Amino acid sequence: MSATILVVEDEPQIRKFLRSSLAAEGYRVVESPNGRRGELDAGMHKPDLAIVDLGLPDFDGLHVIRHIREWSPMPIIVLSARIHERSKIDALDSGADDYITKPFGVGELLARVRVALRHATQPPSGRELALGPTKINFEKRRALRDGVEIHLTAIEFKLLACLAKHLGMVVTHKQLLQQVWGPSHVEHTHYLRVYMKQLRDKLEPDPVRPRYLQTETGVGYRLVAED
Amino acid sequence: MGYVWAAGATALCTAAGLALGAWIELVNIALVYLLAVVLIALRFGRGPVVAASVLNIAAYNFFFVPPLGTFHVDEPQHLLTFLMMLAVGLIVSRLTETVRARAQAQAELALQAETERIRNALLASISHDLRTPLAVITGSASTLAERGERLGAGERAALAQSIYEQARDVSELVNKVLQMTRLESGAIQLERDWGSINEIAEAVLRRLRDRLATHLVMVDLPENLPLVRVDASLVEQVLGNLLDNAARHTPPRTLVRLRAQATGGELVVSVEDFGPGLPEGEVERVFDKFHRGAGLGLAICRAIVRLHGGRIWAERLPGVGTAFRFALPLEAQPSMPAEVVPT
Repeated sequence: MSATILVVEDEPQIRKFLRSSLAAEGYRVVESPNGRRGELDAGMHKPDLAIVDLGLPDFDGLHVIRHIREWSPMPIIVLSARIHERSKIDALDSGADDYITKPFGVGELLARVRVALRHATQPPSGRELALGPTKINFEKRRALRDGVEIHLTAIEFKLLACLAKHLGMVVTHKQLLQQVWGPSHVEHTHYLRVYMKQLRDKLEPDPVRPRYLQTETGVGYRLVAED
Repeated sequence: MGYVWAAGATALCTAAGLALGAWIELVNIALVYLLAVVLIALRFGRGPVVAASVLNIAAYNFFFVPPLGTFHVDEPQHLLTFLMMLAVGLIVSRLTETVRARAQAQAELALQAETERIRNALLASISHDLRTPLAVITGSASTLAERGERLGAGERAALAQSIYEQARDVSELVNKVLQMTRLESGAIQLERDWGSINEIAEAVLRRLRDRLATHLVMVDLPENLPLVRVDASLVEQVLGNLLDNAARHTPPRTLVRLRAQATGGELVVSVEDFGPGLPEGEVERVFDKFHRGAGLGLAICRAIVRLHGGRIWAERLPGVGTAFRFALPLEAQPSMPAEVVPT
Protein backbone atom coordinates (compact mmCIF):
# COMPACT_ATOMS: atom_id res chain seq x y z
CA MET A 1 0.00 0.00 0.00
CA SER A 2 1.40 3.37 -0.93
CA ALA A 3 1.88 6.03 1.73
CA THR A 4 -0.32 9.12 1.93
CA ILE A 5 1.47 12.44 2.23
CA LEU A 6 -0.19 15.65 3.39
CA VAL A 7 1.21 18.81 1.84
CA VAL A 8 0.37 22.04 3.69
CA GLU A 9 1.58 24.80 1.40
CA ASP A 10 -0.04 28.06 0.28
CA GLU A 11 1.83 28.56 -3.01
CA PRO A 12 -0.13 26.71 -5.72
CA GLN A 13 2.95 26.38 -7.95
CA ILE A 14 4.97 24.74 -5.19
CA ARG A 15 2.03 22.45 -4.35
CA LYS A 16 1.85 21.46 -7.98
CA PHE A 17 5.54 20.62 -8.13
CA LEU A 18 5.35 18.67 -4.86
CA ARG A 19 2.27 16.79 -6.03
CA SER A 20 3.79 15.71 -9.32
CA SER A 21 7.15 14.71 -7.88
CA LEU A 22 5.61 12.81 -4.96
CA ALA A 23 2.94 11.19 -7.14
CA ALA A 24 5.65 10.07 -9.57
CA GLU A 25 7.17 8.10 -6.69
CA GLY A 26 3.82 6.41 -6.06
CA TYR A 27 2.75 8.41 -3.01
CA ARG A 28 -0.85 9.51 -2.57
CA VAL A 29 -0.91 13.28 -2.03
CA VAL A 30 -3.42 15.35 -0.05
CA GLU A 31 -3.04 19.11 -0.49
CA SER A 32 -4.01 21.85 1.95
CA PRO A 33 -3.68 25.49 0.94
CA ASN A 34 -3.48 26.87 4.50
CA GLY A 35 -2.87 25.98 8.10
CA ARG A 36 -6.50 25.63 9.22
CA ARG A 37 -7.28 23.33 6.29
CA GLY A 38 -4.05 21.44 7.00
CA GLU A 39 -5.09 20.67 10.57
CA LEU A 40 -8.47 19.41 9.37
CA ASP A 41 -6.97 17.34 6.56
CA ALA A 42 -4.45 15.82 8.95
CA GLY A 43 -7.32 14.57 11.12
CA MET A 44 -9.51 13.50 8.24
CA HIS A 45 -7.04 11.73 5.96
CA LYS A 46 -4.69 10.36 8.63
CA PRO A 47 -1.65 10.72 6.36
CA ASP A 48 1.55 8.75 6.90
CA LEU A 49 3.65 11.91 6.69
CA ALA A 50 3.09 15.67 6.58
CA ILE A 51 5.10 18.28 4.70
CA VAL A 52 4.39 21.69 6.28
CA ASP A 53 5.49 25.06 4.94
CA LEU A 54 6.61 27.42 7.72
CA GLY A 55 5.41 30.60 5.99
CA LEU A 56 1.67 29.97 5.79
CA PRO A 57 -0.69 32.92 5.26
CA ASP A 58 -3.25 32.27 7.99
CA PHE A 59 -1.08 31.11 10.84
CA ASP A 60 2.40 29.89 11.48
CA GLY A 61 3.30 26.39 10.38
CA LEU A 62 4.37 25.90 14.01
CA HIS A 63 0.70 25.79 15.04
CA VAL A 64 0.03 23.02 12.56
CA ILE A 65 2.99 21.03 13.87
CA ARG A 66 1.97 21.43 17.53
CA HIS A 67 -1.61 20.60 16.67
CA ILE A 68 -0.66 17.41 14.83
CA ARG A 69 1.75 16.43 17.61
CA GLU A 70 -1.10 16.56 20.11
CA TRP A 71 -2.59 13.41 18.64
CA SER A 72 -0.19 11.85 16.16
CA PRO A 73 3.45 10.79 15.93
CA MET A 74 3.35 10.96 12.12
CA PRO A 75 6.66 12.23 10.67
CA ILE A 76 6.59 15.95 9.83
CA ILE A 77 9.01 17.61 7.43
CA VAL A 78 9.03 21.42 7.38
CA LEU A 79 9.73 23.54 4.34
CA SER A 80 11.57 26.69 5.31
CA ALA A 81 13.00 29.69 3.52
CA ARG A 82 16.41 31.02 4.44
CA ILE A 83 14.85 33.86 6.45
CA HIS A 84 13.02 31.39 8.69
CA GLU A 85 16.24 30.25 10.38
CA ARG A 86 14.87 30.70 13.88
CA SER A 87 11.38 29.31 13.29
CA LYS A 88 12.93 26.26 11.66
CA ILE A 89 14.66 25.40 14.93
CA ASP A 90 11.46 26.13 16.87
CA ALA A 91 9.60 23.81 14.50
CA LEU A 92 12.10 21.01 15.09
CA ASP A 93 11.97 21.55 18.84
CA SER A 94 8.14 21.52 18.65
CA GLY A 95 8.08 18.07 17.14
CA ALA A 96 8.92 18.35 13.45
CA ASP A 97 11.28 15.57 12.43
CA ASP A 98 13.26 17.18 9.67
CA TYR A 99 13.46 20.22 7.45
CA ILE A 100 14.35 21.19 3.94
CA THR A 101 15.29 24.68 2.84
CA LYS A 102 13.71 26.32 -0.21
CA PRO A 103 14.72 26.18 -2.97
CA PHE A 104 15.41 22.46 -2.95
CA GLY A 105 15.94 19.75 -5.52
CA VAL A 106 13.52 16.88 -5.72
CA GLY A 107 16.24 14.35 -4.91
CA GLU A 108 16.84 15.97 -1.56
CA LEU A 109 13.13 16.09 -0.79
CA LEU A 110 12.49 12.46 -1.69
CA ALA A 111 15.48 11.34 0.35
CA ARG A 112 14.08 13.15 3.41
CA VAL A 113 10.62 11.67 2.81
CA ARG A 114 11.99 8.13 2.44
CA VAL A 115 14.06 8.37 5.61
CA ALA A 116 11.13 9.78 7.60
CA LEU A 117 8.68 7.16 6.35
CA ARG A 118 11.10 4.32 6.99
CA HIS A 119 11.53 5.68 10.47
CA ALA A 120 7.81 5.63 11.13
CA THR A 121 7.36 2.06 9.97
CA GLN A 122 10.63 0.54 11.23
CA PRO A 123 12.03 2.69 14.00
CA PRO A 124 15.73 1.99 14.66
CA SER A 125 16.11 -0.66 17.29
CA GLY A 126 18.50 1.49 19.26
CA ARG A 127 20.51 -1.62 20.00
CA GLU A 128 22.90 -1.72 17.08
CA LEU A 129 24.38 0.63 14.55
CA ALA A 130 26.69 0.07 11.61
CA LEU A 131 28.80 2.92 10.30
CA GLY A 132 30.79 1.46 7.44
CA PRO A 133 33.34 -0.90 8.96
CA THR A 134 32.38 0.12 12.49
CA LYS A 135 29.72 -1.79 14.42
CA ILE A 136 28.30 -0.29 17.55
CA ASN A 137 26.33 -2.26 20.10
CA PHE A 138 24.60 0.10 22.51
CA GLU A 139 23.38 -2.58 24.92
CA LYS A 140 26.83 -4.03 25.44
CA ARG A 141 28.36 -0.57 25.06
CA ARG A 142 30.90 -1.80 22.57
CA ALA A 143 32.22 -0.41 19.32
CA LEU A 144 34.27 -2.56 16.97
CA ARG A 145 35.98 -1.56 13.76
CA ASP A 146 36.99 -4.61 11.74
CA GLY A 147 36.88 -6.57 14.94
CA VAL A 148 39.12 -4.14 16.85
CA GLU A 149 37.58 -2.44 19.88
CA ILE A 150 37.22 1.35 19.83
CA HIS A 151 36.89 2.88 23.24
CA LEU A 152 33.97 5.30 23.60
CA THR A 153 33.18 7.11 26.86
CA ALA A 154 29.75 6.89 28.50
CA ILE A 155 28.78 10.33 27.19
CA GLU A 156 30.02 9.51 23.71
CA PHE A 157 27.83 6.39 23.71
CA LYS A 158 24.86 8.36 24.96
CA LEU A 159 25.31 11.07 22.33
CA LEU A 160 25.72 8.55 19.55
CA ALA A 161 22.65 6.62 20.74
CA CYS A 162 20.65 9.82 20.72
CA LEU A 163 21.61 10.52 17.12
CA ALA A 164 21.09 6.89 16.15
CA LYS A 165 17.54 6.98 17.48
CA HIS A 166 16.84 9.59 14.78
CA LEU A 167 19.04 7.95 12.17
CA GLY A 168 19.12 9.99 8.98
CA MET A 169 17.21 12.86 10.55
CA VAL A 170 18.37 16.09 12.10
CA VAL A 171 18.55 16.38 15.90
CA THR A 172 18.77 19.91 17.31
CA HIS A 173 21.42 21.13 19.74
CA LYS A 174 18.76 21.58 22.37
CA GLN A 175 17.41 18.05 22.02
CA LEU A 176 20.87 16.53 22.22
CA LEU A 177 21.97 18.60 25.21
CA GLN A 178 18.74 17.89 27.02
CA GLN A 179 18.88 14.16 26.44
CA VAL A 180 22.58 13.66 27.05
CA TRP A 181 23.46 16.22 29.72
CA GLY A 182 20.03 17.16 31.08
CA PRO A 183 17.68 20.14 30.96
CA SER A 184 20.01 22.47 32.87
CA HIS A 185 22.63 22.22 30.13
CA VAL A 186 20.61 23.13 27.04
CA GLU A 187 22.65 26.31 26.53
CA HIS A 188 26.03 24.57 26.64
CA THR A 189 26.49 24.09 22.91
CA HIS A 190 30.26 23.84 23.35
CA TYR A 191 29.79 20.42 25.01
CA LEU A 192 28.47 19.23 21.66
CA ARG A 193 31.34 20.77 19.72
CA VAL A 194 33.86 19.00 21.92
CA TYR A 195 32.11 15.62 22.02
CA MET A 196 31.20 15.54 18.34
CA LYS A 197 34.85 16.13 17.53
CA GLN A 198 35.83 13.23 19.81
CA LEU A 199 33.27 10.97 18.15
CA ARG A 200 34.44 11.94 14.68
CA ASP A 201 38.06 11.36 15.59
CA LYS A 202 37.14 7.87 16.73
CA LEU A 203 34.57 6.87 14.10
CA GLU A 204 35.20 8.80 10.90
CA PRO A 205 37.75 7.61 8.32
CA ASP A 206 38.42 11.30 7.50
CA PRO A 207 37.32 13.49 10.44
CA VAL A 208 37.84 16.67 8.38
CA ARG A 209 35.17 15.56 5.92
CA PRO A 210 32.90 13.39 8.04
CA ARG A 211 30.62 10.95 6.30
CA TYR A 212 28.42 9.81 9.17
CA LEU A 213 28.33 12.57 11.75
CA GLN A 214 27.19 15.56 9.74
CA THR A 215 26.84 19.13 10.99
CA GLU A 216 23.68 21.09 10.28
CA THR A 217 25.07 24.56 10.88
CA GLY A 218 23.13 26.53 13.46
CA VAL A 219 20.62 23.70 13.89
CA GLY A 220 22.19 20.47 15.11
CA TYR A 221 23.58 17.21 13.80
CA ARG A 222 22.50 14.38 11.55
CA LEU A 223 23.75 10.81 11.72
CA VAL A 224 23.83 9.25 8.27
CA ALA A 225 24.64 5.57 8.11
CA GLU A 226 24.42 4.95 4.38
CA ASP A 227 26.19 6.54 1.44
CA MET B 1 17.98 83.81 19.53
CA GLY B 2 16.31 85.94 16.85
CA TYR B 3 14.59 88.03 19.54
CA VAL B 4 17.92 88.82 21.21
CA TRP B 5 19.22 90.04 17.86
CA ALA B 6 16.05 92.08 17.34
CA ALA B 7 16.51 93.83 20.71
CA GLY B 8 20.22 94.31 20.01
CA ALA B 9 19.51 95.82 16.59
CA THR B 10 17.05 98.28 18.12
CA ALA B 11 19.57 99.32 20.76
CA LEU B 12 22.29 99.72 18.14
CA CYS B 13 20.08 101.84 15.82
CA THR B 14 18.96 103.99 18.73
CA ALA B 15 22.54 104.55 19.83
CA ALA B 16 23.57 105.42 16.26
CA GLY B 17 20.56 107.70 15.86
CA LEU B 18 21.29 109.52 19.10
CA ALA B 19 24.97 109.92 18.17
CA LEU B 20 24.26 111.20 14.67
CA GLY B 21 20.92 112.82 15.46
CA ALA B 22 22.35 116.29 15.15
CA TRP B 23 23.50 115.76 11.58
CA ILE B 24 20.88 113.58 9.92
CA GLU B 25 17.23 114.03 9.28
CA LEU B 26 14.46 112.23 11.12
CA VAL B 27 13.43 110.28 8.01
CA ASN B 28 16.97 108.88 7.61
CA ILE B 29 16.90 107.69 11.19
CA ALA B 30 13.68 105.88 10.29
CA LEU B 31 15.55 104.31 7.35
CA VAL B 32 18.33 103.12 9.68
CA TYR B 33 15.64 101.35 11.74
CA LEU B 34 14.14 99.91 8.54
CA LEU B 35 17.56 98.58 7.48
CA ALA B 36 17.80 96.79 10.85
CA VAL B 37 14.37 95.23 10.34
CA VAL B 38 15.34 94.05 6.85
CA LEU B 39 18.56 92.49 8.17
CA ILE B 40 16.64 90.73 10.93
CA ALA B 41 14.12 89.52 8.34
CA LEU B 42 16.90 88.09 6.17
CA ARG B 43 18.41 86.19 9.04
CA PHE B 44 15.48 85.19 11.23
CA GLY B 45 11.81 84.30 10.95
CA ARG B 46 8.59 86.20 11.25
CA GLY B 47 8.50 86.50 15.07
CA PRO B 48 11.80 88.37 15.45
CA VAL B 49 10.77 90.65 12.54
CA VAL B 50 7.59 91.66 14.28
CA ALA B 51 9.49 92.12 17.54
CA ALA B 52 12.17 94.22 15.82
CA SER B 53 9.52 96.39 14.10
CA VAL B 54 7.63 97.04 17.34
CA LEU B 55 10.82 97.76 19.31
CA ASN B 56 12.21 99.99 16.57
CA ILE B 57 9.04 102.02 16.27
CA ALA B 58 8.79 102.34 20.03
CA ALA B 59 12.41 103.47 20.28
CA TYR B 60 12.09 105.75 17.25
CA ASN B 61 8.99 107.27 18.72
CA PHE B 62 10.43 107.62 22.21
CA PHE B 63 13.85 109.05 21.32
CA PHE B 64 13.35 110.91 18.05
CA VAL B 65 9.73 111.81 17.33
CA PRO B 66 8.47 114.88 19.13
CA PRO B 67 7.26 115.08 21.80
CA LEU B 68 10.52 113.41 22.87
CA GLY B 69 10.59 111.04 25.82
CA THR B 70 7.02 109.82 25.30
CA PHE B 71 5.28 107.12 23.26
CA HIS B 72 2.66 109.64 22.28
CA VAL B 73 2.13 109.93 18.52
CA ASP B 74 1.17 113.36 17.21
CA GLU B 75 1.19 112.75 13.54
CA PRO B 76 -0.61 109.91 11.76
CA GLN B 77 2.49 109.94 9.46
CA HIS B 78 4.45 108.08 12.13
CA LEU B 79 1.78 105.44 12.39
CA LEU B 80 2.25 104.93 8.65
CA THR B 81 6.04 104.68 9.12
CA PHE B 82 5.45 101.94 11.68
CA LEU B 83 3.07 100.02 9.39
CA MET B 84 5.46 100.33 6.43
CA MET B 85 8.35 99.06 8.54
CA LEU B 86 6.31 96.07 9.68
CA ALA B 87 5.14 95.37 6.12
CA VAL B 88 8.66 95.56 4.64
CA GLY B 89 9.97 93.32 7.41
CA LEU B 90 7.24 90.73 6.86
CA ILE B 91 7.65 90.73 3.08
CA VAL B 92 11.41 90.31 3.29
CA SER B 93 11.10 87.56 5.86
CA ARG B 94 8.54 85.79 3.67
CA LEU B 95 10.79 86.05 0.61
CA THR B 96 13.76 84.78 2.56
CA GLU B 97 11.76 81.82 3.80
CA THR B 98 10.67 80.94 0.27
CA VAL B 99 14.21 81.13 -1.08
CA ARG B 100 15.53 79.10 1.81
CA ALA B 101 12.83 76.43 1.39
CA ARG B 102 13.59 76.22 -2.31
CA ALA B 103 17.31 75.78 -1.67
CA GLN B 104 16.58 73.06 0.85
CA ALA B 105 14.23 71.32 -1.55
CA GLN B 106 16.92 71.43 -4.19
CA ALA B 107 19.48 69.91 -1.84
CA GLU B 108 17.00 67.16 -0.98
CA LEU B 109 16.32 66.56 -4.64
CA ALA B 110 20.04 66.25 -5.28
CA LEU B 111 20.34 63.74 -2.46
CA GLN B 112 17.34 61.82 -3.77
CA ALA B 113 18.85 61.81 -7.23
CA GLU B 114 22.09 60.40 -5.82
CA THR B 115 20.23 57.68 -3.90
CA GLU B 116 18.21 57.00 -7.02
CA ARG B 117 21.38 56.80 -9.10
CA ILE B 118 22.91 54.25 -6.71
CA ARG B 119 19.67 52.29 -6.62
CA ASN B 120 19.48 52.32 -10.39
CA ALA B 121 23.05 51.11 -10.66
CA LEU B 122 22.20 48.30 -8.24
CA LEU B 123 19.03 47.47 -10.15
CA ALA B 124 20.85 47.54 -13.47
CA SER B 125 23.49 45.24 -12.08
CA ILE B 126 20.97 42.88 -10.51
CA SER B 127 18.77 42.78 -13.56
CA HIS B 128 21.81 42.11 -15.72
CA ASP B 129 22.69 39.20 -13.46
CA LEU B 130 19.08 38.01 -13.65
CA ARG B 131 18.55 38.48 -17.34
CA THR B 132 20.99 35.88 -18.62
CA PRO B 133 19.82 33.01 -16.45
CA LEU B 134 16.18 33.95 -17.02
CA ALA B 135 16.74 33.95 -20.79
CA VAL B 136 18.30 30.50 -20.53
CA ILE B 137 15.45 29.25 -18.36
CA THR B 138 12.77 30.69 -20.64
CA GLY B 139 14.43 29.36 -23.78
CA SER B 140 15.15 25.89 -22.43
CA ALA B 141 11.76 25.52 -20.78
CA SER B 142 9.86 26.63 -23.89
CA THR B 143 11.93 24.20 -25.98
CA LEU B 144 11.00 21.41 -23.60
CA ALA B 145 7.33 22.43 -23.48
CA GLU B 146 6.83 22.96 -27.21
CA ARG B 147 9.36 20.68 -28.87
CA GLY B 148 10.03 18.20 -26.11
CA GLU B 149 8.77 15.11 -27.92
CA ARG B 150 11.07 15.70 -30.89
CA LEU B 151 14.18 15.81 -28.74
CA GLY B 152 16.29 12.87 -27.69
CA ALA B 153 16.34 11.89 -24.04
CA GLY B 154 19.89 13.22 -23.70
CA GLU B 155 18.97 16.64 -25.03
CA ARG B 156 15.91 16.83 -22.82
CA ALA B 157 17.99 15.99 -19.79
CA ALA B 158 20.60 18.60 -20.73
CA LEU B 159 17.95 21.31 -21.10
CA ALA B 160 16.34 20.37 -17.80
CA GLN B 161 19.73 20.39 -16.12
CA SER B 162 20.54 23.88 -17.39
CA ILE B 163 17.13 25.14 -16.24
CA TYR B 164 17.86 23.69 -12.83
CA GLU B 165 21.31 25.24 -12.59
CA GLN B 166 20.29 28.67 -13.85
CA ALA B 167 17.23 28.78 -11.61
CA ARG B 168 19.44 27.90 -8.66
CA ASP B 169 21.72 30.83 -9.54
CA VAL B 170 18.77 33.21 -9.76
CA SER B 171 17.47 32.05 -6.45
CA GLU B 172 20.91 32.48 -4.88
CA LEU B 173 21.13 36.00 -6.23
CA VAL B 174 17.73 36.87 -4.83
CA ASN B 175 18.79 35.46 -1.47
CA LYS B 176 21.93 37.56 -1.56
CA VAL B 177 20.10 40.76 -2.40
CA LEU B 178 17.72 40.08 0.46
CA GLN B 179 20.57 39.26 2.79
CA MET B 180 22.52 42.40 1.84
CA THR B 181 19.43 44.54 2.40
CA ARG B 182 18.88 43.00 5.81
CA LEU B 183 22.53 43.43 6.76
CA GLU B 184 22.56 47.06 5.67
CA SER B 185 19.34 47.94 7.44
CA GLY B 186 20.63 46.37 10.65
CA ALA B 187 17.76 43.88 10.66
CA ILE B 188 20.13 41.00 11.38
CA GLN B 189 20.86 40.20 14.98
CA LEU B 190 23.74 37.88 15.68
CA GLU B 191 22.75 34.63 17.35
CA ARG B 192 26.14 33.93 18.85
CA ASP B 193 27.00 30.54 20.22
CA TRP B 194 30.13 28.47 20.58
CA GLY B 195 31.00 27.16 17.15
CA SER B 196 33.70 25.12 15.56
CA ILE B 197 35.24 26.32 12.33
CA ASN B 198 35.92 22.68 11.42
CA GLU B 199 32.20 21.91 11.57
CA ILE B 200 31.29 25.07 9.66
CA ALA B 201 33.83 24.13 6.98
CA GLU B 202 32.54 20.56 6.82
CA ALA B 203 28.95 21.71 6.38
CA VAL B 204 29.79 24.29 3.73
CA LEU B 205 31.92 21.85 1.75
CA ARG B 206 29.02 19.41 1.72
CA ARG B 207 26.56 22.13 0.70
CA LEU B 208 28.82 23.32 -2.13
CA ARG B 209 29.97 19.88 -3.25
CA ASP B 210 28.55 20.23 -6.75
CA ARG B 211 29.70 23.81 -7.18
CA LEU B 212 33.26 22.96 -6.14
CA ALA B 213 33.44 19.68 -8.05
CA THR B 214 35.28 21.41 -10.91
CA HIS B 215 38.11 22.52 -8.63
CA LEU B 216 40.66 20.79 -6.44
CA VAL B 217 39.75 21.73 -2.90
CA MET B 218 42.36 21.13 -0.23
CA VAL B 219 41.37 21.42 3.43
CA ASP B 220 44.12 22.34 5.84
CA LEU B 221 42.58 22.73 9.30
CA PRO B 222 44.80 22.05 12.30
CA GLU B 223 43.61 19.75 15.07
CA ASN B 224 42.24 21.44 18.17
CA LEU B 225 41.45 24.87 16.78
CA PRO B 226 39.82 26.98 19.50
CA LEU B 227 36.06 27.45 19.42
CA VAL B 228 34.67 30.82 18.35
CA ARG B 229 31.60 32.67 19.61
CA VAL B 230 29.82 33.33 16.35
CA ASP B 231 26.57 33.13 14.49
CA ALA B 232 27.51 29.90 12.78
CA SER B 233 24.94 30.20 9.98
CA LEU B 234 26.34 33.60 9.00
CA VAL B 235 29.97 32.48 9.19
CA GLU B 236 29.00 29.52 7.03
CA GLN B 237 27.74 32.02 4.46
CA VAL B 238 31.05 33.90 4.58
CA LEU B 239 33.04 30.74 3.99
CA GLY B 240 30.58 29.58 1.31
CA ASN B 241 30.74 32.89 -0.55
CA LEU B 242 34.55 32.90 -0.46
CA LEU B 243 34.76 29.34 -1.79
CA ASP B 244 32.13 30.04 -4.41
CA ASN B 245 33.98 33.19 -5.41
CA ALA B 246 37.23 31.25 -5.79
CA ALA B 247 35.53 28.61 -7.95
CA ARG B 248 33.85 31.25 -10.07
CA HIS B 249 36.91 33.36 -10.80
CA THR B 250 39.50 30.72 -11.46
CA PRO B 251 39.68 28.16 -14.27
CA PRO B 252 38.53 24.57 -13.63
CA ARG B 253 41.00 22.28 -11.86
CA THR B 254 42.57 25.22 -10.05
CA LEU B 255 43.75 24.37 -6.56
CA VAL B 256 41.69 26.06 -3.83
CA ARG B 257 42.98 25.75 -0.28
CA LEU B 258 40.89 26.27 2.84
CA ARG B 259 43.03 27.02 5.88
CA ALA B 260 42.61 28.25 9.42
CA GLN B 261 44.93 29.11 12.25
CA ALA B 262 44.68 30.70 15.66
CA THR B 263 47.12 33.56 15.99
CA GLY B 264 47.39 36.72 18.07
CA GLY B 265 43.99 36.42 19.74
CA GLU B 266 42.25 35.80 16.43
CA LEU B 267 41.14 32.87 14.37
CA VAL B 268 42.22 33.54 10.80
CA VAL B 269 40.40 31.60 8.10
CA SER B 270 41.73 31.72 4.55
CA VAL B 271 40.52 30.68 1.15
CA GLU B 272 43.52 30.69 -1.17
CA ASP B 273 43.32 30.03 -4.85
CA PHE B 274 46.12 29.47 -7.30
CA GLY B 275 44.29 31.16 -10.15
CA PRO B 276 45.31 34.18 -12.23
CA GLY B 277 45.19 36.53 -9.23
CA LEU B 278 43.70 39.96 -8.73
CA PRO B 279 45.09 42.93 -10.66
CA GLU B 280 47.05 45.51 -8.68
CA GLY B 281 44.78 47.90 -6.80
CA GLU B 282 41.84 45.50 -6.84
CA VAL B 283 42.50 43.99 -3.43
CA GLU B 284 40.96 47.00 -1.70
CA ARG B 285 37.86 47.21 -3.83
CA VAL B 286 36.75 43.62 -4.33
CA PHE B 287 34.55 43.84 -1.25
CA ASP B 288 32.49 46.69 -2.72
CA LYS B 289 29.02 45.86 -3.94
CA PHE B 290 28.89 44.81 -7.59
CA HIS B 291 32.49 45.76 -8.12
CA ARG B 292 33.57 44.32 -11.47
CA GLY B 293 30.93 41.63 -11.65
CA ALA B 294 31.84 40.39 -8.20
CA GLY B 295 28.19 40.68 -7.28
CA LEU B 296 27.19 40.79 -3.66
CA GLY B 297 28.97 37.78 -2.25
CA LEU B 298 32.07 39.54 -0.96
CA ALA B 299 30.14 42.60 0.23
CA ILE B 300 27.97 40.25 2.31
CA CYS B 301 31.12 38.59 3.69
CA ARG B 302 32.48 41.95 4.77
CA ALA B 303 29.23 42.99 6.44
CA ILE B 304 28.98 39.69 8.36
CA VAL B 305 32.60 39.67 9.47
CA ARG B 306 32.38 43.28 10.68
CA LEU B 307 29.21 42.44 12.57
CA HIS B 308 31.31 39.88 14.44
CA GLY B 309 33.96 42.48 15.23
CA GLY B 310 36.37 40.82 12.82
CA ARG B 311 38.41 41.83 9.76
CA ILE B 312 38.35 40.62 6.17
CA TRP B 313 40.84 41.30 3.44
CA ALA B 314 42.30 40.05 0.18
CA GLU B 315 45.98 39.49 -0.58
CA ARG B 316 47.86 38.83 -3.76
CA LEU B 317 49.84 35.67 -3.19
CA PRO B 318 53.50 35.80 -4.19
CA GLY B 319 53.84 34.27 -7.61
CA VAL B 320 50.29 33.43 -8.52
CA GLY B 321 46.86 33.46 -6.91
CA THR B 322 44.79 35.29 -4.36
CA ALA B 323 44.06 34.79 -0.69
CA PHE B 324 40.85 35.93 0.93
CA ARG B 325 41.16 35.93 4.68
CA PHE B 326 38.96 36.81 7.58
CA ALA B 327 39.84 37.04 11.24
CA LEU B 328 37.40 36.47 14.09
CA PRO B 329 38.27 37.60 17.61
CA LEU B 330 38.96 34.74 20.02
CA GLU B 331 37.53 34.69 23.53
CA ALA B 332 38.48 32.74 26.63
CA GLN B 333 37.48 29.15 25.92
CA PRO B 334 34.40 27.85 27.76
CA SER B 335 34.95 25.40 30.58
CA MET B 336 34.24 21.76 29.94
CA PRO B 337 33.59 19.40 32.84
CA ALA B 338 35.92 16.43 32.61
CA GLU B 339 34.10 13.17 32.10
CA VAL B 340 34.76 10.58 34.71
CA VAL B 341 35.78 7.65 32.58
CA PRO B 342 34.40 4.42 34.03
CA THR B 343 37.10 1.85 34.43
